[in-house]
Amino acid sequence: MKSIKSFLTGLLLMFSIVLSAQDFAPVVQNVNKAQVVSDYIQVRSQLERFLLAQPQLSLATYYLAYVDIQLSLVTPDVDKKTKYLAEAETYLNKLSELKDIDKSEFFTLKGLRLYSLMALDPQTNGPKYSGEIVSAYATALAINPNNPRAIILSALFKNDMTKYLHQTYDGFPKDIEKASALFAAQDSLLLTPTWGRSWVDYALSKK
Amino acid sequence: MLNEQSKPMPNANVFIKGTIDGASTDSLGNFSFTTNKQGEMTLCVRMLGYAEFNTKITDKNSTALVLNMKPDNITLDNVVVSAGNFRVKGNSQFGKMSAVDIVTTAGSTGDLYHSLRTLPGAQMVGESGKLFIRGGDSNESQTYIDEMHVLSPYTATGDNMPVRGRYSPFMFEGINFSTGASSSEYAQGLSSVLALNTKDVSPITKIGVNASSVGFSGGGTRAFEKGSVSLNLDYQNLKPYYSIVPNKYDWVKPYQLFSGSGQIRFNPNQTTVFKTFVGYDKTSFIQHIASSTNQPTRNLAFNDDNFYLNSTFQKTTESGYKIFAGGAFSLKNQHVDDALIATDSYRNKEWEIHLKTKVSKRFTDFLRLNVGLENFFRHNDIVYSYASTVHTDSINHSISALFASAIFNINSNLYAELSDRLEYTSINNMWRSNPRLSLTYNMNGVHFSGVVGQYTQLPENKYLLTKNDLRTENCMQYVGGIYYETKNKVYRAETYYKKYNDLVLQQSTSLTSEGYGYSKGLDLFFNDRALFKGFEYMLAYSFNLSKRKYQDYTELSTPQYATIHNATVSIKYNIPALKSILGVTNRFASGRPYHDPSKSGIMNSTTGFYNSVDLSLTYLVSQKVIIYTSATNLLGRQNTYNYNFINDTTNPDRYMKTPVTDPSKHFFYIGIFITLSGKTAYDVSNF
Repeated sequence: MKSIKSFLTGLLLMFSIVLSAQDFAPVVQNVNKAQVVSDYIQVRSQLERFLLAQPQLSLATYYLAYVDIQLSLVTPDVDKKTKYLAEAETYLNKLSELKDIDKSEFFTLKGLRLYSLMALDPQTNGPKYSGEIVSAYATALAINPNNPRAIILSALFKNDMTKYLHQTYDGFPKDIEKASALFAAQDSLLLTPTWGRSWVDYALSKK
Repeated sequence: MLNEQSKPMPNANVFIKGTIDGASTDSLGNFSFTTNKQGEMTLCVRMLGYAEFNTKITDKNSTALVLNMKPDNITLDNVVVSAGNFRVKGNSQFGKMSAVDIVTTAGSTGDLYHSLRTLPGAQMVGESGKLFIRGGDSNESQTYIDEMHVLSPYTATGDNMPVRGRYSPFMFEGINFSTGASSSEYAQGLSSVLALNTKDVSPITKIGVNASSVGFSGGGTRAFEKGSVSLNLDYQNLKPYYSIVPNKYDWVKPYQLFSGSGQIRFNPNQTTVFKTFVGYDKTSFIQHIASSTNQPTRNLAFNDDNFYLNSTFQKTTESGYKIFAGGAFSLKNQHVDDALIATDSYRNKEWEIHLKTKVSKRFTDFLRLNVGLENFFRHNDIVYSYASTVHTDSINHSISALFASAIFNINSNLYAELSDRLEYTSINNMWRSNPRLSLTYNMNGVHFSGVVGQYTQLPENKYLLTKNDLRTENCMQYVGGIYYETKNKVYRAETYYKKYNDLVLQQSTSLTSEGYGYSKGLDLFFNDRALFKGFEYMLAYSFNLSKRKYQDYTELSTPQYATIHNATVSIKYNIPALKSILGVTNRFASGRPYHDPSKSGIMNSTTGFYNSVDLSLTYLVSQKVIIYTSATNLLGRQNTYNYNFINDTTNPDRYMKTPVTDPSKHFFYIGIFITLSGKTAYDVSNF
């Protein structure tokens, strides 16, 4: 527990927050609560205003990338999906230029974006991006083996891949359990990435 | 909040600049919010796909605002549809094709050029393997890697044996195939340009090997934080294959190829890319050629060394200038013994240095400019010796060019491109201007595009070696097309007319530039990926009428390589239950003209039609092992491309006729691709 706390505190420092937690915390909560397109668009606008007012707010850049990826998954419009993923890539590129960001969270988001790109056209993009997706999650986990988002997303992807090959990913239940415990231990009051619990529910439904 | 058509804009982000005070517009485009800011302030509106809108307001006049937004520059720049251009892989859905698509297309046998021959506009010239586009000869098609010219993109083979591309399709991130009306920055392509882009970033460290019925290869990539290094080695030897699948040739030493290539990519930041690619390959074979009427038996010994080096730099500055600079060096060195007759020797050494720089920038919503300079320095020398006779020829020359294009976004649905390419060729001391105009109009997702432009190209070296002052060949192109795309379907229809002038014409022993000709036709393309899950099919049809008076033609005739009708039906079926992708391609081409000396006129006869049903099966053994198999011409049709005639020694008025056919009726390929590194999957690419 102590190590998780100190890790999350480290994250806070690394994201170099300059705006007070009081202002930004409700936006993060809105991100975590968002479910449908209109929710995500509202919170995207909020994040964009924060970023324009405070360009050095790397957490806003990080969350904008995340919200754009989520929008690409929930919006039905194919053209918009592509635009949101392009925007997410721009924000990820910005993040990669910054020092002191949490690289594990960065690579997790990168993997999720590629996964969303793959979801656009699995037949074409599956073979194209699967190697990069596996690599992005593996890198995220090499940096921080206790990143719950990387654990659950990597587990889901491995499970899907092995299913496609008519095999079984034996580590799937164990990964779900580990991610679930790590999510439960997250301190949602801290201004750090906390999204991803819903992926555990999704993974449980596929078990 | 209204868009450019004065319709309400929902979901726009409206706020006071410098604050977090704002709101999103509702479904009717309405918005309202309060702010504590006083006096003059900037109201800012942002929306994905639209230019940022700013207006000054004060706390006294901030009610009942009606605001209009316009599409942004990025959206304008993303217009990729223009007549003649077939973006095979890239951002556009129009005919996009990945390296995996290429190798799983039946009949492609894993070769980029074979795969492109299934697209409309390409003609079926089976004995060559090169690209013949819209009635143009193969030398009218040029290949560029990362915007730099490749002097010899095809492997070397003997007569009437189809060539393949030198480079693996897995190397390329973008494959843009222009079947006409290519951009002004690409030189020396009267008919078509294949612009290939290698990956800017290769983020995965990986290593792989493969073994196949023709050889084996291996290589890998080491990724770093700001770049990567890739290396690939390939060895092919057809001796084992020929011992199982014989062909009509008699080999003393069957075809052998050794090749190695490497690439270094360096990305110091998100806006800068340095790339260097180097490739070398060595081809050799000895073919036994039986004696003929007036020729003794000989052993044709063929050796070819090919080297290509390409280095490029790209940067986008903070002020929006996109800068490109590159250099490429191509070297081809061929040595053939017993080339035409026993004991003769032929050497051909050719090199080219290509230097290019360009800069582009969008200055306003209305205008984008692109300007560049390039130089080609070329050398070619040949030595032919027989007994004590030695014949040599050599040329050194250069091509210098200035190219510029202006793209006008007249409105969000209409754009025009005006360009010119001013070119000086030292060998014939000629200046040529190549003005071009293209217009594209988007009507509710249906794109209409038209291009008119001039294209020029120097005659082939084999003619320039004999006569230096031949004029630069030119072709005026008129292309018009309609394009429509949905999520899973692509429709294209294009018509064209090409008028050729100043082609090389050989009259008795003299060479002139008095040749001319035309080519006209219609290309149709349809791709459907939604008929049922995992199933994809593609239909391509080309109609072409082409006539020329060039080379040794004594009258205006259909060139020997041209076919009136070309059609391809290609299907792919992804069968998850079998972990397999099945591909079937049926290609058809009408008969080709050939010259029968026993009849009057030239190109006075026609071969039978061409047909080949090809099959491929890709089987995913595990995440890291793929087996790929393919077989061509399953129906076993004897396709004849031409006929050779030689005088009958018993009767000088008669000719003996031999058909030009494939070396064997079928080509079988089986390969196993193994990824050895730990993090990758489904990745047979070593680049």
